[in-house]
Amino acid sequence: MELLQQHLPAKRTVIPYYVTAALSLVIVSILTFISLTDFKGHFFQPSILAITHLTVFGWGTMIIMGASNQLMPVISDSKLYSDRIPVISFVLSLVGTCLLVRSFWNFELGGMMFTGAAFILTALIFHAVNIFFTSKKAQHNNITIDFILTAHLWLIVTALIGITLLLNFRLGFLPADHLHYLKIHASAGMAGWFLLLVIGVSSRLIPMFLLSRKEVKKYLTIAYYLINTGLVFLLVDGMILHCTNSRLVYMGLIITGVLFYMAYIWNCYKSAIRKKLDAGMKQSFIALVIISLPFILLIGSVLYSHQAPVSLVSAYGYSFFGGFITTLIMGQTFKTLPFIVWMHLTKPNMLAELQPKDLYKEQLVVLQMALYLPGFLLFLTGILLQSKPLMYPGSIMMIMASVLYCGHVLYVVNKLRK
Amino acid sequence: MTDIEITDPQYGDKIRLMQMLSFVRDPELDLNIVDLGLIYEIDINKEISEIEITMTLSTRACPAGDYIKTGVELMAKEAFTDYNIKVNITFEPQWSADMISAEGREELGW
Repeated sequence: MELLQQHLPAKRTVIPYYVTAALSLVIVSILTFISLTDFKGHFFQPSILAITHLTVFGWGTMIIMGASNQLMPVISDSKLYSDRIPVISFVLSLVGTCLLVRSFWNFELGGMMFTGAAFILTALIFHAVNIFFTSKKAQHNNITIDFILTAHLWLIVTALIGITLLLNFRLGFLPADHLHYLKIHASAGMAGWFLLLVIGVSSRLIPMFLLSRKEVKKYLTIAYYLINTGLVFLLVDGMILHCTNSRLVYMGLIITGVLFYMAYIWNCYKSAIRKKLDAGMKQSFIALVIISLPFILLIGSVLYSHQAPVSLVSAYGYSFFGGFITTLIMGQTFKTLPFIVWMHLTKPNMLAELQPKDLYKEQLVVLQMALYLPGFLLFLTGILLQSKPLMYPGSIMMIMASVLYCGHVLYVVNKLRK
Repeated sequence: MTDIEITDPQYGDKIRLMQMLSFVRDPELDLNIVDLGLIYEIDINKEISEIEITMTLSTRACPAGDYIKTGVELMAKEAFTDYNIKVNITFEPQWSADMISAEGREELGW
């Protein structure tokens, strides 16, 4: 029987992504502090666009790409298709993100912005191709892989819409106003890329970490079809049909899909043998509770008979990226990274003296959570109430949490040098 | 998980071997492999001084698979220095969390 440690991806396919993402989170939190006043205004302004794209590409997507290079061989029972493609994707993504974010920050809609966007799109296509070919050896009917591959497809679609929007800035060829397409771009990215990917990966990791005895996979299958149908509806309607009140239909489909995913997680938790959750898992579960916030805010904004207040729309976006995605990633980092580093530290023909849990500090994860969560909630409330006195302490707490997180990531990675 | 009957003529040897194997921990699930129920069968052949251990992994693509297999070989060799150790990995039956022992469940807070 062939064992799979020889399928362990090279360090360069995973570690640079984690380190860059951690540094990006620190920059995001500092830029957020610098731009506090802008968070009181409309979301469509240079600083908010720059922070959002740094959060998406420098932080969320960066770490997800690294983690998927590690996880995909495990899910697919095969070696990562290429160890070189992740290096190319990483460089393109890093350079592209720097160019794009700088252009948004200064609102220079020139060559630098298009070059950045093109670099990022190329990086994402390379990454998606590598993930696709890695998954080809997987068993059929693997819903986890369906989620991950479809999420990559939506990622490319989102990036293409983004580039179309950049072109529209210059050429103004789209029939509806720019904000209309911006909403489609954001929704495809949030529900298509992040949500589907998180559901796919967590459907594998959560029952594994909890040692669940029962997995109701059919809930995942239902969630998959509901969310994707909702997204296709959103895309077709937003780009072509422009039906009135259609938002309720595709929002309903997506939210029902998320509820089925929650039911799946609940069943995993109920049947779990591991009841003692470590700090990383606790933070991940808190993130799964936080996911209700953007949906509540979204429903709130849709229920407005006229235009929803911008503070509500900004809070919706912030609660998704700053709340759900960031909390989840911060928690899962210390479930995955210590194990990845440990795998590279083990020597053949020796029992390891240290286990993955010995490579990080549980108390720091608790402290990181204790700083980030109240900070995020203060900041979110500040956005909703347009109150700088609430946003300031919230932002400072998030900076402290991100610095702590980044230092902790570097501490774990540094073990590889010893 | 393998059950060792007290009536088994090799009861003492098998218990000693299982105690040694319990020093090997699954790094991902953070529990020793005996309580996890990864050891399916032990066959001690004194005539040819060979121990054959049939075991599984928590997932087919367990990234720590080689490490766990090596750990089993090392610990078995330490307990039975003169024996040839053979470790077979099988995925039939597939491991499930139901195979975790009562002691293991207690350690996990169940």
